[in-house]
Amino acid sequence: MVHSTFVHLRTCSGYSFKYGTATADQLVQRAAELGMHSLALTDRDNMAGAIRFVQACEAGSIKPILGVNLSFIQPKFRITLLATSDGGLPALYQLLTAVNFAGGLLTHELLQENLQYSKKLLVMHGPDSQIATAIGARQLTQGLSIFNSSKDYFFQQGIEILSHRIRGDGPFSTPFAARMLKFARDNNLPAVITNSVRMLNRSDGPLADVLDSARNLVPLHKRHVERQNSEAYLKDIKQMHQVATEISQAAGELTANQLIKTTLHWAEMATLDPRKDVGIGKIHLPEPSVVGGKTQGDLSKQLKERCEAALSSKYFGGQSVVAANRLIDELATVRTLGYESYFLTVADITDLARSKSIRVAARGSGAGSLICYLLGISGVEPITHGLLMERFCSPLRNELPDIDIDVESARRLEIYDAIFERYGKRAATVSMVETYRSRHAIRDVGAALGVSPIEIDLIAKSLPHIRARNISKALENLPELKNLKLDTPILKMAIDLAQRLDGLPRHLSMHPCAIVLSDIGLRDHAPLELNASGYPMVQFDKDDVEAVGFLKLDVLGVRMQSAISYTIAEIERVEGEKLDIDQISLADQPTFDLIASTRTLGVFQIESPGQRELIGKFAPSTFTDLIIDISLFRPGPVKSDMIRPFLSARHGLSNVKSIHPDLDAIMQETEGVVVFHEQVIRLISVMTDISLAQADEKRRALGTLDGQQEVCDWFYPASLANGFCLKVVQEIWEILRAFASFGFCKAHAAAFALPTYQSAWLKTHHTAAFIAGVLTHDPGMYPKRLILDDARQWGIEIKGVDVNKSQRTVVVEKVISKNQITYTAPDLKSTGRSLQLPNANGYALRISLADVGGISDNEINSIINGRPYIDLSDFVRRSGASVTTTESLIMIGGFDQLHQIGDKLNRRDLLLHLQDLYKLTGTKISQNQLTLELLPPPLTSAGLPNLTAQEQIQNEISVLGMELSAHLLNSYGEFLNAIGAVKSSDVIRQRSGASLLIAGVKSALQTPPVRSGRRVMFLTIDDGYGCNDVTFFEDVQQSYAQLLRTSNLFLIRGQLRRTGPRGVSIRATQAWELSSAYNLWLANKTLANKKAGDWRNLPTVQIESGNSA
Amino acid sequence: MFDKSNSGQNNPARVIAPAGEPTEFIYQGHHFHIHAITSRWSESGGWWNRISDGNLHTDQSVKIDDQPRAVWRVEAAPVGMLSTFEIELDEVTGNWRIRPTSRAS
Repeated sequence: MVHSTFVHLRTCSGYSFKYGTATADQLVQRAAELGMHSLALTDRDNMAGAIRFVQACEAGSIKPILGVNLSFIQPKFRITLLATSDGGLPALYQLLTAVNFAGGLLTHELLQENLQYSKKLLVMHGPDSQIATAIGARQLTQGLSIFNSSKDYFFQQGIEILSHRIRGDGPFSTPFAARMLKFARDNNLPAVITNSVRMLNRSDGPLADVLDSARNLVPLHKRHVERQNSEAYLKDIKQMHQVATEISQAAGELTANQLIKTTLHWAEMATLDPRKDVGIGKIHLPEPSVVGGKTQGDLSKQLKERCEAALSSKYFGGQSVVAANRLIDELATVRTLGYESYFLTVADITDLARSKSIRVAARGSGAGSLICYLLGISGVEPITHGLLMERFCSPLRNELPDIDIDVESARRLEIYDAIFERYGKRAATVSMVETYRSRHAIRDVGAALGVSPIEIDLIAKSLPHIRARNISKALENLPELKNLKLDTPILKMAIDLAQRLDGLPRHLSMHPCAIVLSDIGLRDHAPLELNASGYPMVQFDKDDVEAVGFLKLDVLGVRMQSAISYTIAEIERVEGEKLDIDQISLADQPTFDLIASTRTLGVFQIESPGQRELIGKFAPSTFTDLIIDISLFRPGPVKSDMIRPFLSARHGLSNVKSIHPDLDAIMQETEGVVVFHEQVIRLISVMTDISLAQADEKRRALGTLDGQQEVCDWFYPASLANGFCLKVVQEIWEILRAFASFGFCKAHAAAFALPTYQSAWLKTHHTAAFIAGVLTHDPGMYPKRLILDDARQWGIEIKGVDVNKSQRTVVVEKVISKNQITYTAPDLKSTGRSLQLPNANGYALRISLADVGGISDNEINSIINGRPYIDLSDFVRRSGASVTTTESLIMIGGFDQLHQIGDKLNRRDLLLHLQDLYKLTGTKISQNQLTLELLPPPLTSAGLPNLTAQEQIQNEISVLGMELSAHLLNSYGEFLNAIGAVKSSDVIRQRSGASLLIAGVKSALQTPPVRSGRRVMFLTIDDGYGCNDVTFFEDVQQSYAQLLRTSNLFLIRGQLRRTGPRGVSIRATQAWELSSAYNLWLANKTLANKKAGDWRNLPTVQIESGNSA
Repeated sequence: MFDKSNSGQNNPARVIAPAGEPTEFIYQGHHFHIHAITSRWSESGGWWNRISDGNLHTDQSVKIDDQPRAVWRVEAAPVGMLSTFEIELDEVTGNWRIRPTSRAS
């Protein structure tokens, strides 16, 4: 026995960040191949790989041992702790958590405080321990006293014998290992042998060097490299016995029998059971007492009562019978699974958020559950929308369902704090393993090899965010790198090494939104650390925490929820109206008119150019249509051509054929095109007469090719046996096969559709307040200047920053309506009905102080606190604003009202006055100590001309990042009129196929997925009359891609195509930078030379249009 | 049994290692017998220097060579003469290399 086996007790995986070169899976697989029955994972300073490792062990029939390698007493001394089989793992987690919370160093004090834990641990003192230092210095007595000083803390201590067979007689050499062995024997201490593994293969040395170099931030050089040879790999049994023999004999023993025997004995003491000891597959929900009950039975009762109470207030008549029956079914499922605490805990957290008036909404499949709706977790009514509980939570799956909650982004951490306050040690944030991807890999390797930083930077920046192993392939396709010689030996080597870093963990960070809740024993089930934001964080990632059965909740900060919340507050402040947005009708015609107009900037989910094109074609007219719209606008449906047949059926261009009357209800929901998971589940259930829960299992199986075959083999006989004819079975199977993987969870889409609809409703009925919310919380993809432009088109006045009036955020002001001409929607030719669009005349938006570039939070506070100001000198004296901020405020007209800037005085005078004020008072003013004896100099006109309109715009752009007084394009007005450029509001009136010129400011440039797989660039430009979306196909990209990326103002020639009642698309054929086109035109005009060569016939273009340019 | 051309620095030395460990070798034309192995170790690394050594060419595929070597420090003697040598086996090429050493270990 002794001779036929070996167990590695010290193994570092890649979770020993920038140290280990192999993944836990690879190590386990190798150990199994080498015929080992057990393996330890002892990563440095963390146990982030533990669960993955244990799962791999379970799959590979390897018995796991878990430990951790820590700094002990001093950072340079390291010891390895192993959990004993007898309750050692919780103890190890607890001790590691204590070490992490104390800063990462294990000390005597920590051990004393955590005796109940350390007593269950084994510890190995190896060649990098303090004892080894003493032995190295031939201070054997001191070595023994160090050993004895920590003896009482642990279950057992041992000397770790280890030789990497390095030259000489220092630590990690055979002579040194022999001395440690002799020390152990002389003092009768247990001695075990390890190989301190950090690599999988002997050939991984260079990778280890690169990691050392990245960890220590030094380039590879003889002086810096720690590694002397390649012995620290997972050696096989025979090799380990050889090393053991070599050391034992050098220590004067005949054989290695004793050393191997003790090692195997230690392995046995530390062997863990994945289920019993590690707790894989167990579930740890908060105890009944936390959610207000004593027993599971109490919870059951409480859940039932809460749901029933809500049911009677939300459902009436026939609906309430349907709902009551559905509730009985859902509660039965929950009872079978024992998930009462799960639902009540999630509900508790959404209640917690609401009690703090934080907007909260569930997203994801949870919206399919009636219980979630009744508990207020989700806001979407599931029955009328055909949402299924089974998609979310099923008795056939023994895994906790996943609920994500969206909250106001601006207040997300308040919820975290509230959860920690309420759940204490039962709560923690979750970690996220950042692995080496292309950019980091090439940067770290480049730095190690000393490649020129400029070259590495260039390569790294041009690489897409892909897996490191695909770097070579990606580099072949990057035109940016054509001038770089990529085949020099050093770059080839760098690329090769970078690819080998693929997937190695490099850092543990906080998952951006996940939080786990468990029972009071959370810290027995997982090790914790404090993350950068100071929250306790389990060292497990989101998959690990599910494996050990914690309740995981994703709390996502959604800016739109903040914007909605802000809008509602503004409505109340300005109109005195308390709006309950969750009670509005979901069938509001003006809202759907707004959506159909495609003027949806700022609206959740449907503001992007692609979505606006889709809603233009689709014209959603019900809430269900919105759900479909959101489901269709994803890469899958786009690539698999689901949209076209759907739209043509929707517009009556093709008929939805009935495959079988039993299936019509399911298919007609989406014009015969299967869009939703829920439809797939229903189709399978109806065809084969199985339950929805079983059907969902089949749907999940369709996700893989093997699973597809299995389902196919079952589906045909099952449906035929159920009485469907072969033709129907074939047809349905084709649909299932083609669409199952592209389908979308309807519950998820419905959850998204709610804030989409709510934001569209707010934009329709409270346009100014909504745009104030969008400007304040910036939820979308467009720059503020474009949102402002949108506001103007609804008749809203834009008011500049005013030192006495502007707030921290953008606010609504009521003004006397100037009866501006607002944007009007053309008639819908297809229906003859005119869209009813909002008119926000009588409202203004006041730009906020926070929009002033460079202003600090403190300045905003003190400016607001010091109000009102009677003049500039008063402001300078009391506002606490810096000179530069005051200057900025003057330049953008912040004092215009106060000083009645106009004919007599202008902003230049104010700037001079500001200088005078400062000259007079010297430095005192900056300390806010201007005394009253110093009379301010008089403010007089210096007779300088005021800023020109163009200068004003420039100032606004540079200070605020957006123009207020006029549109950027204004100065090109004459030019654009002369060449007949079309205003974006008039584009819709052009005939299909027309060639036209449009101009505008770039507001977005995207390259979304398209069906053909070819790259298409979408450019959105605005010209003060709305936006145009222009498509650049591959044939024109070559000439203009660079221009599109680098310039901001464009003149574009394109061809127009009508795509739906309100849908047009413009395919670009030519593009110019606007100012260069303008200069060409000017030059031509002055020369009056009609034959000008480089003019690309621009001025002679005749555009037939009815626009009054 | 042995070739003669084994004295140059870059030419592989001739070493007999029946069980993986050297027992005899030829050095500068003399046939040595190993009396004792005083220590063994292994070495590798320095792979990044090979670029500047010019051992890498752009036309060849870049294979990173960590050059793992096993080293024995031995006491060996031709007839009647005992001295110390280091015998090195390049584990990639299988070539041996011998160098005398003054240090005993």
